[in-house]
Amino acid sequence: MKEARLLRVDPLRNPEPLIRRVYGYVAYRIGDGPDAEDITSETFERALRYKKSFDPQKGEPLAWLIGIARRLIEGRPATLELAIEVPDRADAGDLEDDTLRRLALTSAVSHLEPRDRDLIALRYGADLTARQIAEELDLRTNAVEVALHRALGKLRATIGEQGDPPVRKQGTAR
Amino acid sequence: MRHKRTNLETELRANRPEPSRELVHRLEGRVREGRRSRAGSFRVAFAGALAAGVLAALASVGGLGYAATATGDAVDQAKQAVRAHGVLVVHKSPSRDQYGPKAKKKKKAKKKAKGRRFARPPFTG
Repeated sequence: MKEARLLRVDPLRNPEPLIRRVYGYVAYRIGDGPDAEDITSETFERALRYKKSFDPQKGEPLAWLIGIARRLIEGRPATLELAIEVPDRADAGDLEDDTLRRLALTSAVSHLEPRDRDLIALRYGADLTARQIAEELDLRTNAVEVALHRALGKLRATIGEQGDPPVRKQGTAR
Repeated sequence: MRHKRTNLETELRANRPEPSRELVHRLEGRVREGRRSRAGSFRVAFAGALAAGVLAALASVGGLGYAATATGDAVDQAKQAVRAHGVLVVHKSPSRDQYGPKAKKKKKAKKKAKGRRFARPPFTG
């Protein structure tokens, strides 16, 4: 009965939004670029390989994929750690505001402690709810909300130290 | 304070790193391919199971037929053996004397005459 139910549920039925959110999470964790692409690809390879192990009662497909990605990030060699640098302000004129803003934020996130970075990546990269994060980290929802609040405070402080990123047009926000 | 925090959260979501179009297409293709191969493997497995079932059915019928033929052959062979040599019955043998049916003994007729046991012997002179 259980197997029949598992066969009916395909966690990768609509892959595109899942790819974007997994990549968002991974990129916030280790930085935007080829390594994030490799981790995302490996996440989906493993998901395809172990698709039968997905249990919809335990959570959403995204949470399952993020769990795989987290384990891959934690198991990767430390040499893959990216140092994200914000380009000099003098060269900023060559870059579009969006790109500069993104780089500044990613850089600020990369300066956070691993646990805070993980929380930010789970909440704003993977777009998980506090409840889903709590399930993933085996914490209480309230504890996650408090930890997120603190992580945002640290991030704001980091951005303040680096200097305010260029103002982004509000109309382009998604 | 609240407005500032909301802005930062919005910025974090809006500036979430996006995968390249090539990566998205490649992974979508990979997922579709995995789904197709899974469906294909199901078809192959179904065909294999069907073939195995048919073979098993045929083998069981064939086995029963073989067993029935073998039993018939054995019975025929036994019949032939009995017909060819016949059954040898030994009528006089030590074993038959010991275990065979006992021959009826002729009983001597006893003359039972009441009083004659004590009769006077015949006069002999």
